[in-house]
Amino acid sequence: MLVPPDFLRDWRMASTYETVSGIISDTCDIEADKITPDSHAINDLGIDSLDFLDVAFAIDKAFGIKMPLEQWTADVNAGTVTTDEYFVLKNLCANIDKLVAAKA
Amino acid sequence: MRLEYFQMVDRITSLDVPGGKITTACLVPEQSPVFEGHFPGYPILPGVLLIETMAQTGGWLVLATQRCAKMPFLMQVEKAKMRAFVSPGQPLEVEATLLHEGSGYAVVKASIVSGGKKVTEADIRYGVVPFPNETLQAAMLETARRVGLPEEFCNGA
Repeated sequence: MLVPPDFLRDWRMASTYETVSGIISDTCDIEADKITPDSHAINDLGIDSLDFLDVAFAIDKAFGIKMPLEQWTADVNAGTVTTDEYFVLKNLCANIDKLVAAKA
Repeated sequence: MRLEYFQMVDRITSLDVPGGKITTACLVPEQSPVFEGHFPGYPILPGVLLIETMAQTGGWLVLATQRCAKMPFLMQVEKAKMRAFVSPGQPLEVEATLLHEGSGYAVVKASIVSGGKKVTEADIRYGVVPFPNETLQAAMLETARRVGLPEEFCNGA
């Protein structure tokens, strides 16, 4: 194999993150340098539910997936996970990668 | 159309759920208190009611995809254009196409044609959530039957 698996994973993560942070920057009018992999979309970036709908639509389109927002909301409301799992960008990107992998 | 009751859609004229398309027919009433204010001596259907008419048409498409088990609430309207005046007594043909069915939301593109001319268009997004109460659910099912939503799309409720 020419590309080590770890490198491939890192590269893919960066690509997903760049796409997602670009979507958030464009959609929510947030300066790109204020967005980091550790940013929480709601608590740090102040994205409200209506803006997050735009972000979700753009992500669904960009990756050809259907983010299970209803299930995620139910998980958070049930207390089985914290919002960090879905709204901290590096975690959101990891979840997107899982959905893309599951689709393939 | 019964403008005072926000009953914008008279009947569903075609429905293709797998293809994500719907058309409805709506006849603008000759008389309505709305026209007394909009505008005195020059009655035209308010643009917001044209948007509502498109939103309800797309809403019936979303309801059909959900088999009336969930309710679409209007959340966002983009690129709305009012291209021509709509007068009392004018028949409207409304069309909506499902662009995306997300988890808990849906996106449609809608337009209205009258007399062969496009009068308005918009991109519309809905939050799609469980019915907040049984009263609304029952009312929507009753309205579904009035506008001719096929029974097979009413049975998820």
